[in-house]
Amino acid sequence: MDRRNFLKQVAVWSSGVLLVEPVFRITPDLLAAETVSPVLSVGVGKNYASLVASVLQPLGGMAAFVKPGDQVVIKPNIGWDRAPEQAANTHPEIVKAVAELAILAGAKKVLVFDRTCNEERRCYMNSGIKPALDSIGGRQIQCSYVDERKFMPVTIEKGKSINKWSFYKDALEADCYINIPVAKHHGLSRLTLGLKNTMGVIGGNRGKIHRNMGQNLADLNTVIRADLTIVDATRILLRNGPQGGSTRDVKVLDTIVASPDPVAADAYATTLFGLRPEEIDSTRAAAEMGLGEMRLNKIDIRMV
Amino acid sequence: MFTITLRTFRRLSQLFFLALFFLLFRLTDYSGLDEIPYAVNIFFRWDPLVAATVLLSAKVLVSLLLPSLFVMALTMVFGRVFCGWICPMGTLLDGTGKVIHASAQSSQSLRPVKYILLGIILVTSLFGLQLVGYLDPFSLLVRGVTLAVDPVFNLLVTGFFDTLYQYAPQWLSNISEPVYGVLQDSVLPYKQTFFQLSTLSGCILLAIVALEKLEKRFWCRNLCPLGALLAIFSRFSIFRRFPKRACRDCHYCAPNCRMNAFDPESRQLRHEECTLCMDCVDDCVNQPSRFRFAVPEGQKQIDMSRRAFIGAGLAGITLPLLSKVDAAHTLPRPFLLRPPGAADGNEFLSRCVRCGECMKVCIQNALQPCFLESGYEGMFTPRLIPRLGYCEFNCTLCGQVCPTGAISSLSQPEKHGFVIGRAVFDPARCLPFADQSPCIVCEEHCPTHDKAIKFQEVTVVNRQGKSVALKQPYIIPELCIGCGICENKCPLPGDSAVRVLRAGKQSEEDGFGYGG
Repeated sequence: MDRRNFLKQVAVWSSGVLLVEPVFRITPDLLAAETVSPVLSVGVGKNYASLVASVLQPLGGMAAFVKPGDQVVIKPNIGWDRAPEQAANTHPEIVKAVAELAILAGAKKVLVFDRTCNEERRCYMNSGIKPALDSIGGRQIQCSYVDERKFMPVTIEKGKSINKWSFYKDALEADCYINIPVAKHHGLSRLTLGLKNTMGVIGGNRGKIHRNMGQNLADLNTVIRADLTIVDATRILLRNGPQGGSTRDVKVLDTIVASPDPVAADAYATTLFGLRPEEIDSTRAAAEMGLGEMRLNKIDIRMV
Repeated sequence: MFTITLRTFRRLSQLFFLALFFLLFRLTDYSGLDEIPYAVNIFFRWDPLVAATVLLSAKVLVSLLLPSLFVMALTMVFGRVFCGWICPMGTLLDGTGKVIHASAQSSQSLRPVKYILLGIILVTSLFGLQLVGYLDPFSLLVRGVTLAVDPVFNLLVTGFFDTLYQYAPQWLSNISEPVYGVLQDSVLPYKQTFFQLSTLSGCILLAIVALEKLEKRFWCRNLCPLGALLAIFSRFSIFRRFPKRACRDCHYCAPNCRMNAFDPESRQLRHEECTLCMDCVDDCVNQPSRFRFAVPEGQKQIDMSRRAFIGAGLAGITLPLLSKVDAAHTLPRPFLLRPPGAADGNEFLSRCVRCGECMKVCIQNALQPCFLESGYEGMFTPRLIPRLGYCEFNCTLCGQVCPTGAISSLSQPEKHGFVIGRAVFDPARCLPFADQSPCIVCEEHCPTHDKAIKFQEVTVVNRQGKSVALKQPYIIPELCIGCGICENKCPLPGDSAVRVLRAGKQSEEDGFGYGG
């Protein structure tokens, strides 16, 4: 191999690192969704699988979000090594139901993951989410652990507080991103809902986000704006969040909230705790940035 | 042409146990269940040397170690078959011997060393000083593989596939990634681990292997104290080579013996040095030599002089005395945290055989080998270093794999209440105190119920002169168990602003403890 050939090979094989880091922009029309009242659907029921389907009906069903051939990302909260009844993670039946609906709507692939706080294998297993998804079978649904290599630096153009952070490649590239947070108490932010759930697709030292949590979360959500947010409030954690640990802190509501507007979903879910939407910093910051609607009287709420 | 001989069976047995060893090593991990369903530590549990030293030093009969009676019985019937047919260290050395050929003339002068080492280990353990971890073949092997070989193996393989993934054209990584996936599910560890003393542990293992250059099975012939113990018991064994002598004028068996077990003068086989490898039976060209059941008779004394015997005894008494006056034991070690379920200080040290199983199984890579923090005799004992990894609240694996009960097997509720230390804040560095900025990542992660980390809502004037509302964390010592997740997750660079100090049972023996 001569020198010229060598240099050529080096150039070809290292082209990946030489590329400019990607910039993700949310198109202005998505950010300026103020003119039309966003639809938000709320349902109560004991059968969570059918409840998911009926809550999605007023929004046009799963087909309104997932197009045939789509690569879908479902982002539950799998952060903690806790059992479903302890209300620290999204309920496995809801995750399963959403995944199945996405497949029915024609999704080519459904990716389910979370960057966990406790050890990931324990979280995936004891949350019940991995066993629930594995029970569906087939190769379309992949419930896999986060692959450190897939975090890529992103310039957050709209960011007011942070302008650079690494994000998970699969989340950035998804054709349809479905956020399924569990609604629960949190010491610093008071509640953790949909906007906060986005922390599960970012890399780096996440503790730093806490220094200006509300605005930082809003900034992150300018990069990853969920196409659909389904808030799991089947049981909510009232104290000792975000990981709880005792069912004494858990209140069963059997409620699911869904909306294409992530801010509206958080705003409504906040009321389930007896709080007002503006009491949650991230909701307020996101609404100020035009990421969605937090005024309840401007949201088209449909009870099912 | 390939013919099946006795050697074939021996090799199959060696390969089987070597494969079993590595299989159990791989299974020493979280499997999706809270309990490990296999006896992954069986190599330690049937090791009579481990059983003997734990019995002597901790003065307890550990029922987990009862399988060692089986190996004793086996040895008393068949001699050192364990060394020749089972021991994975022996198998690795035999394998190495195929590549590295011994250059030096064999001599038998170093042979007594293993008996001396055995004597020292047994006598010191009688006085409560547990040194077996330095020389037990399985301790050396499991520790070496855990701390050095396995992490390096994973680093090489993942490094290769990561490079392809990042820089190779798409079509190539489309091929390499599925291959990588298969490897991850089979031979690779779940994730990359990092250990203190990785270089030292790797070098010790390398040195044992490199000794093959001097003599075949140099370690087994001259150094292995387990081999020495089995040698002593094999003197009673009734399965022996016949004839006892190597034939005059024939140079097959005696010079080729991997244990150099034939006496050069009398040509007689020293039965306790023989590992029954069957080479001399398979290769015999003269009269058919074979092994048969026979009553032991006319044996020589074991290859250890009276002076050496007394010397070993004296050394065994002196070492514990020296250890007693080692300042390492009087100096408080506030950051030396032991695993959950660990026995109190001295009992822990006398039971722990430094096997490395707990460090292998720890799912947060939090358990690390000590260096000299608790004296030289505490080297390679496990300690929790929260900044590297915290103790997972619901995990009880280290106690499950500990073969000697140095870390007792805890149920989940017992584990939730087991105090390994207590967290203490450093307000000079903690953000809500020192920087007037919000944080409480520690409170978010605190797993106990009720939370051991709580916060006070205060209004302070920050450096810009603005009045800000802040949540300042504090510890409730009665609730804190010292899992260290707060120290681990603290977002400050370098040292954490909350650190776990020794507390609970472990701190009583040195009179040091924070918060009761």
